[in-house]
Amino acid sequence: MSIYGSAVKKPITTIMVFLALIIFGVYSLVKLPVDMYPEIEFPAITVFTTYVGASASDIETNISRPIEDALNSIDNLKEITSQSRDNVSVVSLEFEYETDLSEAANDIRDAIGLVENMLPDAADKPTIFKFSSSMIPILMYAVTADESYEGLEKLLDDKVINPLNRVEGIGSVSLIGKPIREITIGVNPRKLEAYNITVEQIGDVLRSENMNMPAGSIKMGQMDYALRVEGEFKQSDFIKNIVLGNFNGQSIYLKDVATVRDSIKEMTIDERINGKQGVRLMVMKQSGANTVKIATNVHKQLEKLRETLPGDIVIEKVFDSSEFISGSINNLTKTLMYALGFVALVVFVFLGRWRATFIIVLSIPIALVVSFIYLQLTGSSMNIISLSALSIAIGMVVDDAIVVLENITKHIERGASPREAAIYATNEVWLAVIVTTLTILAVFLPMTMLSGITGVLFRELGWIVSITVVTSTVTAITLTPMLSAMMLRIRTHKVKPRKWSYDNMVLPVFDKIDLWYGRVLQWSISHKTVITVITFAIFIGSLFLFTQLGTEFMPQSDEGRLSVMVELQSGTRVEKTVEVARRIDKIISEYPEVVLVSTSAGSDSEGGMAAIFQTTGSNIINYTIRLADLKERDRSVWEIAEEMRTQLNDFPEITHYNVSTGGGGMATSNVDVEIYGYDLDRTTLLANNLAEKFETIPGARDITISREKARPELRVELDREKMSAVGLNTAMVSTALYNRVAGLVPTKFREDGDEYDIRVRFNEDYRSSITDIQNITLKTVTGQMVKLGEVGSVIEYWSPPNIERKRRERMVTITVSPYKTSLGELADAIQAEIGKQEIPREMLIEVGGAYKDQQEGFMDIAMLLVLSLVLVYIVMASQFESLKMPLIIMFSIPFAFTGVILALYITNTTLSVIAGLGAVMLVGIVVKNAIVLVDYINLMRDRGYELDKAIVLSGQNRLRPVLMTALTTILGMLPLALSTGEGAEIWSPMGISVIGGLIFSTIITMIIVPVIYRAFASRGERNKKMAVNKKFAFLDE
Amino acid sequence: MKAIMIVYNQAHTEKIEYLFDKNEIRGYTKWADVMGRGSTTGEPRLGTHTWPEMNSATLAIVEDDKVAPLLAILKKLDDFNAEVGVRAFVWDVLQSM
Repeated sequence: MSIYGSAVKKPITTIMVFLALIIFGVYSLVKLPVDMYPEIEFPAITVFTTYVGASASDIETNISRPIEDALNSIDNLKEITSQSRDNVSVVSLEFEYETDLSEAANDIRDAIGLVENMLPDAADKPTIFKFSSSMIPILMYAVTADESYEGLEKLLDDKVINPLNRVEGIGSVSLIGKPIREITIGVNPRKLEAYNITVEQIGDVLRSENMNMPAGSIKMGQMDYALRVEGEFKQSDFIKNIVLGNFNGQSIYLKDVATVRDSIKEMTIDERINGKQGVRLMVMKQSGANTVKIATNVHKQLEKLRETLPGDIVIEKVFDSSEFISGSINNLTKTLMYALGFVALVVFVFLGRWRATFIIVLSIPIALVVSFIYLQLTGSSMNIISLSALSIAIGMVVDDAIVVLENITKHIERGASPREAAIYATNEVWLAVIVTTLTILAVFLPMTMLSGITGVLFRELGWIVSITVVTSTVTAITLTPMLSAMMLRIRTHKVKPRKWSYDNMVLPVFDKIDLWYGRVLQWSISHKTVITVITFAIFIGSLFLFTQLGTEFMPQSDEGRLSVMVELQSGTRVEKTVEVARRIDKIISEYPEVVLVSTSAGSDSEGGMAAIFQTTGSNIINYTIRLADLKERDRSVWEIAEEMRTQLNDFPEITHYNVSTGGGGMATSNVDVEIYGYDLDRTTLLANNLAEKFETIPGARDITISREKARPELRVELDREKMSAVGLNTAMVSTALYNRVAGLVPTKFREDGDEYDIRVRFNEDYRSSITDIQNITLKTVTGQMVKLGEVGSVIEYWSPPNIERKRRERMVTITVSPYKTSLGELADAIQAEIGKQEIPREMLIEVGGAYKDQQEGFMDIAMLLVLSLVLVYIVMASQFESLKMPLIIMFSIPFAFTGVILALYITNTTLSVIAGLGAVMLVGIVVKNAIVLVDYINLMRDRGYELDKAIVLSGQNRLRPVLMTALTTILGMLPLALSTGEGAEIWSPMGISVIGGLIFSTIITMIIVPVIYRAFASRGERNKKMAVNKKFAFLDE
Repeated sequence: MKAIMIVYNQAHTEKIEYLFDKNEIRGYTKWADVMGRGSTTGEPRLGTHTWPEMNSATLAIVEDDKVAPLLAILKKLDDFNAEVGVRAFVWDVLQSM
């Protein structure tokens, strides 16, 4: 018994099977997490090595290079880069996507084990650090406070961070720019000298005073008492009354030589939120956790926590990446609903029967539900890729059901009972239905084999479309016949259509269109040459338009978020930087679109992880700006960014700035120019020259050179002979210097279970000039007092830059981002500029960045296209049992691309990987239409119709089904192409290219395919009777 | 006793079964899938891609008086939609066991 036979004969079983599927699918849908993209782990591992005291070039030779050499042969390694700066080496390894990173980390560990002995003894053991998406903050809050500011750290720690950490799925919560309590003992060196005390001595005294110690036990009578000495400072106020020693028989208290302040640590960073003092609270999720769910939970939790906080503490949202995600997803879900409505409408208009429409449209939810099951089983999420895949599939899943139902209706109209019609009609078409599905699979299955970043993104799309299309085929040959048998009515007699009925109103229109098309076709096949020449002229013409299209890797999206990095003259002290920041704050707050500005000036020495994502320094200001919702503002984030750039240009103090519009993630769009060369000075010079030239390129913005500018430093050069004469050595001098300038932390102050540093250092007045440094008094072994100026000198000089390497060669990168120009055009202009520049022979320039990703992405798409074409050919050749037929059909493909080019050109959309993918998908969809037509022509000829007659008849007969399938796909994708809300920029190019390609190719297919068919075919070749007659002619003799 | 052989488009299957029951014809032999072509206008029924439809054939041996009503009703069925097609042939049964 065939599958459709069983389905019709066992309707209950069939319904139950599909019901089970739906229940499982809805369950999966409820459970599915919502995210922006499919889970992507950025495949990078970083190796940090510190070697205190080594300069950048020493680090490069002794640490970075040996490590690079050792790691170069690791499996799946894509690229190796390194940064060598004073004291530290950072070697970054980028792997191919989907490399098992834990295995890679093991390989790295082994490889490092081999070279470890070759590294300098004083260097620390290299640490391996795995980057993970869980380190990117998903939520950022600004916390501002007035009177509670000083105690903010402890308050937030106890009342906010700890409770939040208990929210499921949260990886970590951290604070940036928090005020840290510290007890600072600012000593007056003059007084110290007078009393003959050193900073170290103060440290020793504090260390030995601030202690609790058990001292055994004492047995008294029946009891055993533990004996303890309790000397710990109970209040910070006690500290100033510590006795340091005796001088001329008088006790010297700490307060005599120093001021003791229990306050917050000297800040190197200034955090402002909308101009108010505050801290930033960042929430990181665990890898794989549901961003939207966590964000909702955190919001809820925060509402509760807010009540426990003092009234002056205000917590405001800086950004919430879940908003863009849920916005995009809602937007796409709406799109999906519209698509469903449109498809239903098309089916109804063409069939005019509501029962039939219902049966066909029912295959959509079933296909969708199965894809939810797939997503759930593979641990994926509802994301923009899976949802746009569903949008694409919606128009295609009805096609199979349409074919089956059409044939069933034909039989019913001829008098068969619905049950018989369902079985026999399905029997006639089931094979054809499966074959057309195979051509779709030939396009979408190779998509699941893509590699690299495009692969990570589009594998899911390939799988979902494949799965939904297969599901729809299965539905079409089981559920559709079964429902037809149940729901359609037998025709016992011919009914005369009523005046306002479908048959009387719409059908004649269709019949007229059929007739008109027949005439057009008749004319076309008798003017083969004209038609062929015209269509090819159109195709070649479109290729010229193609060169006019801008290209880009991924379309940029307006997430309503701006990051601005402003750099002042290197070495600028933080106070000056803050002053500039206040002035810029004022400008930014004048933008009506800006909702929240978070300013961070200077660097946070304890910022930890956050420092990896932002460049910080005492001369750098970082802004995170949140704009109003997309609907509530007229200007796009790019226009606002451009306006800001022009305003920042007016600041003479600013040496460099960078206004980036992305909220992070993968949609970066910039061109990197990499200059390879050993000589640091010359490559820097070349980079500066090129950067200057790039400034003149229209549309080039945010030109950044990766090599940091030399920073002014003070260097203490010691005279060894003089030192040895007084019994000092470099170690002693440098420790003494550290204790006086950076500060000595001899002990900690304990209160309520928390510890706070007690730092002894020179009062700020005594460490703010070169003379102050020279005047630092050092105590020799013999107790003599020597000024630093006597054993060495303090020299001002410029620190050498950091050294970056890539592929084991030194390099500098110039990054340029486009504004109102496409990535491809920008890259071309940059390459032209590079061409004009004379490049010394020992240097090499390469253009990379997102432009490189774009080229790799386009290569992948091209490969995919070739693969799909070959597979489609294979499927068709075996279906038609002919090598010629597939070629005729494939003539429709170039015109699909013409349509894509036209659509992109007219809508002024750039050609991105997304749009390219849309073009590839067309191969399957377009070919399907042509197959329907050619197959029918063959059929008619086999039934004995004369060639021309067969072509015209088939055209008339197949016009409606072709228009119907094309229209369902076009209208299914129309909401996708037209959507304008959050994230629409990402997927609308796909809709535009598919729609453009499909409209154009459908029109052309209906003309050029019959014409080409006519050109290739010879009369009588399919007349089997004649062939047989010839074969057995001898019998007549 | 007459032999009546009905060759019909598979789409008529249920109707033929219904007719047999209605006319109290119990015994029959059926070939579910048979191929053929009509003598004048009938389209080929070959189950191929070109001619996908198929016929079935039923042979029944009936009392003489049952033949006429059966043929009448089959004629009605054929007139309803000639495209689908049903044909019946009757001949004498000489002997049976």
